[in-house]
Amino acid sequence: MSVRKTAAVLAGKATGALSRVTGRGGGTTLPGDVARAIDPRILTRLTQDLTQGSIVITGTNGKTTTARLVSWLLEGAGHRVVANRAGANLIYGVTAAALNRAGTDGRLRADWGVFEIDEASLPRAVEEVRPEATVVLNLFRDQLDRYGELESIAKKIEKALSTTPAVLNADDPRVAEIGLKLQRKPEWFGLDDTSVAAKQLPHAADARTCPICGSSLIFDAVYVGHDGVYRCPNGHFARPQPDIAARDIKLNGFDSLALTIDDTRIEMPLGGLYNCYNVVAAYAAARSVGLEPKYIADRLRTFKAAFGRQERIEFRGRHLILVLSKNPAGFNETVRTAVEQAKGENYVIGLNDRKADGTDVSWIWDVDFEMLKDHAKVVIPAGVRAYDLAVRLKYAGVSAEQPQTETAKALDLLIKTTDEGDTAYLLCTYTAMLDLRAELVRRGWASPYWET
Amino acid sequence: MGVAILGNMKFTVGWLYADLMNIYGDRGNILTLVRRAEWRGLETKVIELGRGPVQSLDDVDVFFFGGGQDREQALIYDDLREHKQDRLAGAVQDGAQVLAVCGGYQLLGAYYQTADGERYDGIGMIDVRTEAGKKRFIGDVVVQASIDDLSPTTLVGFENHSGRTFLGPNAKPLGKVLQGNGNNGSDRTEGCVQSGVIGTYLHGSLLPKNPHLADYLIGRALTRRGDGALSRLDDAAELAAHGWILQRAQRR
Repeated sequence: MSVRKTAAVLAGKATGALSRVTGRGGGTTLPGDVARAIDPRILTRLTQDLTQGSIVITGTNGKTTTARLVSWLLEGAGHRVVANRAGANLIYGVTAAALNRAGTDGRLRADWGVFEIDEASLPRAVEEVRPEATVVLNLFRDQLDRYGELESIAKKIEKALSTTPAVLNADDPRVAEIGLKLQRKPEWFGLDDTSVAAKQLPHAADARTCPICGSSLIFDAVYVGHDGVYRCPNGHFARPQPDIAARDIKLNGFDSLALTIDDTRIEMPLGGLYNCYNVVAAYAAARSVGLEPKYIADRLRTFKAAFGRQERIEFRGRHLILVLSKNPAGFNETVRTAVEQAKGENYVIGLNDRKADGTDVSWIWDVDFEMLKDHAKVVIPAGVRAYDLAVRLKYAGVSAEQPQTETAKALDLLIKTTDEGDTAYLLCTYTAMLDLRAELVRRGWASPYWET
Repeated sequence: MGVAILGNMKFTVGWLYADLMNIYGDRGNILTLVRRAEWRGLETKVIELGRGPVQSLDDVDVFFFGGGQDREQALIYDDLREHKQDRLAGAVQDGAQVLAVCGGYQLLGAYYQTADGERYDGIGMIDVRTEAGKKRFIGDVVVQASIDDLSPTTLVGFENHSGRTFLGPNAKPLGKVLQGNGNNGSDRTEGCVQSGVIGTYLHGSLLPKNPHLADYLIGRALTRRGDGALSRLDDAAELAAHGWILQRAQRR
């Protein structure tokens, strides 16, 4: 046991405790920062203590839910799991999670690490954690101001995957392009049910051309964003056949979904087609570490969603459903699920432009808010950029309430415009979600996020 | 909404490479042109001009050319020259208007020069040239517009580019930078205006928050059909979003 490791762990743990006591949030990244300053290899040293190893999950959308699903499955099978649960998905957040679980002797006593990793941080995470499996969910346009364009992210992921067993989404052309170049064949997952597919790509689809000849890909099915069943018209490139595929998909709003993988029927309390991908990915990861199909199906029945991901809160007789929606692909799915599946009538749309949300809000014009037209009764544009949202909704033909840049006022307006017993969908970017939640906590209607 | 003084008139938007060059919420620009024409009773349509030969472009009143990611931009580069350049130039000569943002703006210029000194020729419709820069300019931009009779006189948007664009003598700046970097971060100019073509780095999207610029384009394009006078619309929502960026700029 190195002295430096122990010192780093103790300093990190002290920082975390201090941060929670002083009410500065859950101490989800700062401890990692402190410990890494003392011992830059601390994450590698800690994850070497794991008796089984780590599973790393990346992609634009679905990281938090998928990581939570995998943890849920491992924990139910009696494994001790360490995970960065609060969505702190840079290398500091992962380090902080490992520190938090380490003992004062500097040892991490756990079997599995399950870490969600920001796409840009994947190479570093893979190098430091040496995972048993790395799951890539999808690659959509997201936060162009911070990440740069999709291309540069794809290159980083490709480099990282050359050194780890990969579990990849076959339905995402950009992910498949990376996977097909790998020396070791990845485990492919995907959806196989055209009854839930659209025929046409949404407006803001990114990966729509063949990586070899540049021709527009032909999509025989479109599931989420540019994820679907695709092929190059000249035969250069096509969706790899999934090793693990979901069939017979049944969707029931934000309440539940059901699907079949091989002969196993899975039914669980999580809604939306996009979550089918998260479930199949988690299933693939769980299978790759030896969990049995029947156990997986049983365990998933009782799964609970993560903070801000289809979280339900009761607020003055209204049923609030919080759904994180942070980029066009994600937003289109949450709006579609809310309108078409859940028949939602009341909405708060929250848009912030802080660093964690992305400072460029032009992507709201790629979201099909037109779906709300003729279906929504109350739509409240909220957040720092509520005025931009109001314009977006106007041009979508949606009649909206006055924009509210203050969270408290947005909630007050929601109470004013809805009745007791109504359900409202709160679709928000990351910090807009934090703001809303903080206000609900302040009013005593929700618990702080590090306790969920 | 506005009075239909232009009833039975047609208005057509030509969207260059709608499927590939649409990275920065460019649909906002299209929607703004379309809705604002519809609200005035114009019969409106959008023609998507993808890769390959195009039919006649005589109907098109306003062309829009957005930005793309590197991969997509490479895919349209030859097509632009082969199938679009001549027709686009002809349409502009006949009075059609062009709005080009970011990558589209650069491609309409003389050339783009990479950091290694390699030059990619543009189609030279506007007298601008672009060189790769090191630092990426990212953030809000406020511009004092040089176009006469715009009200308000400011344009607001968001920039995200590493290219440094410089104007030649035939191109006039779209405006003077009050906040942000604009064309190149050094001469305080943003965008360009040259005989029916407006090039700019502003997205966000640009037109939804700058309805006066949208109307300028629509009005200019319709002038050739005999009447460019547009009825007034209620722009309270658009100008509130515009004003919010101005206010934030003043607080900084």
